[in-house]
Amino acid sequence: MRDLLTAYPPLVRSAALVAVTYRGRMILGVITGFFPLLTMAVWLTVVAEGGPPAGWTTGDFLSYYAAATLLWNLSGNHVVWRWDADMRSGDLSIRLLRPVHPFHQYATSDLGHRLVFLAMLVPTLTIAALLVPGLDYPADPVLLAAVAVALALAYALSLLMASTFALVGFWSTQTTNAWLLWWGLGSFASGWVAPLALMPDWLRTAAALLPFRTAMGFPVELLMGRLDPRQTVYGFAVGLGWLAVFALLYRITWRRGIRRYQAVAG
Amino acid sequence: MSGWTRHARILGICWRAAVASEVEYRFNFISNVALSMFWMLWAAAGASVYFRYTGAVAGWTNAEVLVVIGLFFALNGIRQMVLQPNLERMTDYVRLGTLDFLLIKPFDAQLLVSLRHLNVNTLLDPVLGLALTTTGIVLTGRGTSVAALASFAWMLACAVLLMYALTVAMMALAVKLVAAEELGQVSYAFVELSRFPVDLYRNPVQTILTIVPIAFLTTYPAAALLGRLDPYMLLLAPAVAACAGVLATLAWRRSLRSYAGASA
Amino acid sequence: MIEVRDLAKHFRVHRREPGLRAALRSLVRRDHHTARAVDQVSFTIPEGEVVGFLGPNGAGKTTTLKCLTGLLHPTTGTVRVLGHTPHHREPAFLRRVSLVMGQRNALFWDLPAADAFEVNRAIYGVAEAPYRSALDELVALLDLEPLLGKQVRVLSLGERMRCELAGALLHRPDVLFLDEPTLGLDVNGQAAVRAFLRDYNAQHGATILLTSHYMGDVTALARRVLVIDRGTLRFDGDLAALVEAHSPHRLVRVTLREAAPAHAWAGLGEVSTMDGAVVTLVVPRAETAAIAARLLTTLPVEDVAIEDPPVEDIIRAVFADA
Repeated sequence: MRDLLTAYPPLVRSAALVAVTYRGRMILGVITGFFPLLTMAVWLTVVAEGGPPAGWTTGDFLSYYAAATLLWNLSGNHVVWRWDADMRSGDLSIRLLRPVHPFHQYATSDLGHRLVFLAMLVPTLTIAALLVPGLDYPADPVLLAAVAVALALAYALSLLMASTFALVGFWSTQTTNAWLLWWGLGSFASGWVAPLALMPDWLRTAAALLPFRTAMGFPVELLMGRLDPRQTVYGFAVGLGWLAVFALLYRITWRRGIRRYQAVAG
Repeated sequence: MSGWTRHARILGICWRAAVASEVEYRFNFISNVALSMFWMLWAAAGASVYFRYTGAVAGWTNAEVLVVIGLFFALNGIRQMVLQPNLERMTDYVRLGTLDFLLIKPFDAQLLVSLRHLNVNTLLDPVLGLALTTTGIVLTGRGTSVAALASFAWMLACAVLLMYALTVAMMALAVKLVAAEELGQVSYAFVELSRFPVDLYRNPVQTILTIVPIAFLTTYPAAALLGRLDPYMLLLAPAVAACAGVLATLAWRRSLRSYAGASA
Repeated sequence: MIEVRDLAKHFRVHRREPGLRAALRSLVRRDHHTARAVDQVSFTIPEGEVVGFLGPNGAGKTTTLKCLTGLLHPTTGTVRVLGHTPHHREPAFLRRVSLVMGQRNALFWDLPAADAFEVNRAIYGVAEAPYRSALDELVALLDLEPLLGKQVRVLSLGERMRCELAGALLHRPDVLFLDEPTLGLDVNGQAAVRAFLRDYNAQHGATILLTSHYMGDVTALARRVLVIDRGTLRFDGDLAALVEAHSPHRLVRVTLREAAPAHAWAGLGEVSTMDGAVVTLVVPRAETAAIAARLLTTLPVEDVAIEDPPVEDIIRAVFADA
C-alpha cells in the first residue's frame, strides 16, 4: 500500500507530461469535450419556444450543462480502450511484469490526462460562471467541499466500472462493445441524455438506485444546490455502495481472468 | 479498357479481399449490427425526451427528427465503412513510407488511398439508418411523393460527396500532421453536428452550421424527403459539394507535392 | 536460483482448414487438439550464470521464458525462480527480475528516455541514491547520454534497444531474461548489446537466460546452452560439449609449401575444399590427432589448423537428428 502511494505521484506526473506532449490531441479532446453543449442548445430552443420545461429555465440549463461538461471530461471511461488495445497487442504482458498492478498503471495514466483537462476546464468554467448571466452556482464553501468529494467519487466509480468491464477482454474481443452498451443504457440514468429532473418518474426512481448517477448527475445537481442534506447523504451512500460492489466485482473478475490469461495467452 | 472501368475493377478487387478477410470475424459483424441498432434506438429515445415537453422544436416534430437521425446514422455508417479505415492508415503510409509505393502505382492516388480499405463490420449501417428514416416518414403519417424521393436521392448524393470531400481534406492534413487518429475525430465531430436538424440549434450556431456546411449533410436531404425543401437548394447543394470536392482535391495535391519535396 | 522440474505447457488450439466452406463449417463444429508447447523440461541455473537458450521458431523457447517470468501458468511441473513461484506474480518477485523482448517496447513510448526511466523508477520503487548510481553506470556503459532527451518513439531500433536494456536494469534485477535482444539490430548494435551484457554479468553477477537466433549472441555470452526443439530439451551443457557430441568431425586446414597431387590425400579423410596449396579436410573427431601426425610426415606441410565446424551447422545437425 505504501509502495503504491509513493508510486502514484510520479506516475500521474509522467502521464500528464505525455498529455501535454500532444497538443493537437489535447485541443481535440477539449473540442469533443464540449459535446454536451449541443444537447443543451436544443433545450434552450425548447425554453425559448414553449417556456421552461418542468420549471427549468435557461439559466438552469446553462448551469447544468456547464457542470456536465466538467463531469464528461472527468470520467475514467478511456481506460477501457487502453486495456483493450494492450490485450489485443499482447502489451498487457509487459504491464504484468511490473510490480505494480495493471489497474494502477492504467489509473495513473488516465488520472494524469484528466488532471491536464481539468487544469484547462476549471478556469474556463469559473470565468464562464462569472461572465454568463444565468450561469450561477451557490458559493457556499461547505457545498463546494462536498462537490469536491462528489467529483472524486464520480471519477473513482467511473474508473472502477470501466476497469471491471475492461476485464471482459480476458474472455472476449467484444470489450469495447460491451462497455458501450453498458454506458449507453446508463446514460439515460446518469443525467447525460437529459437532466434526470426532466425524465419520467419511473426512470428517476430507478436512477436513484443505479450506479450511473453517481458518475454524472449527482455531483452536478449538488453543485447547482438542488439537493437537500438528506438527498446529499443518500447520494453519497449509493455511490459508496456501488464503489464497494465494483471493487469486489473487479477483484473476483481479475482473479479468474488472470488465471485464464496465464493458461492460454501470456 | 477505359479509365473508369479499370479504376472500378481495381477497387472491386480491394473490397473483395476486405470482405474475405473479415469472414473469420463474423461475430464482430453481428455484434456491430446489434450495437448499431442499439445506438439508433438510443438516439431515438434520447431525442424523444425533448418532445415530452413540446410537440415540435423549431418546427420539427419527433417523427421528423427521426428522419434526420436515420440519415445521420446512414452517413456516419458510410464514413466508418469507407472513409475512416483509409484515413486511419494514412499516418502509417506516411510514417512507414508506404505512400511512396502507392504513389508509383499506375492508379489515381487520391482514389486509391481514400477508398482502398473497407470496414466490413459497418456494411449494414447505411441500410439500418435508412430504415430509421423510413420509420420516421411512416410515423409522420403524411407519406412521400416521387418528386420528394427524387430530390432526396439527389440531395443525399450531394451529401455523400460532401462527406467524401471532408475526408480527403483530412487525409491531406494527415500527410502533413501525421495524426490520423485526431483527424478521424475531427471528421467524426463534423458529422456528429448533423445528428439533429440544424434548426434545432439557435443562432449563431444554426447559421454557422449552414455555412460550414453541416446542414447539407442531413438537414436538407431530410427536408427534401419531407417535401419542404427550398427548390433552389437542389442547385446550391451540388455547387457546395463540388466546391468542397475541388478544394479537397487541391489540398490533397498540394500536400502530396510537399510530401514529395520533404521525402526526396 | 532458477529451478525447473518437469515443466509442461499445453495449449488447446482450434484448427481450421482454409477457405470459405471450412469457415462456415467451423461455425458449427470446431476441431480442437492439444499442442505441447513445452513438455517435461527440467534444468537448474545457479546464481550468476549466463545460459543461452537455442531452438528453431516455435520450439518452446518463448513459452518457457513466459513460464519463468510468471506470464504463463505451467500445465504441470514446478518452476522456482529466486525462491518464488513465478505465476503467483508477487511484487517481491517481479522487482527482482526483468524480461527484455526484442520486438516489444516496455518503456513509455511518448516520453523522452530520461523521463521514461523515471517512470520505471516509480514503478519499481527504487530509492533516489541507488537509482542515480544505476542510471549513471548504465548511461556510461550503453553510451546513452545523447539519447536521454529524445522521445523513445523517435529513436532508431539500436538506440531504442540500448534504452530498453537500461530501463530493464535500473532496478538491478538479480535475474535477467532476454528474448531475442538483438533482433533486427545491425552488426554494431549487436556487438554493443553483447559487450554490455558480458560486462553487466561480470560486474553484478546477474543470472542471465537469453534466447537468440544469432549464434553470435550465444557464443559470445554463454558457456552453457540449453537446446530445445518441439517442446523437449535436447541438450543441456557446455557449448563445447554440444559441439563434441553432435559433430563427429573436425576440420583440418593444411597449408603446403607446394601443391600435392590428389592421390596424396587418399586415406587422410574427405577433401572438403582445395584452393591451390590450402586444403581443408573433414576428418573423424577421434582420428584428428593421428591424421595430423601423418600429414606432417607424408606431405610438405607449412601449417596445420584444426577447427570445429561453425556452431550454426552443428545446431542444424542437432535438429536434423531429432
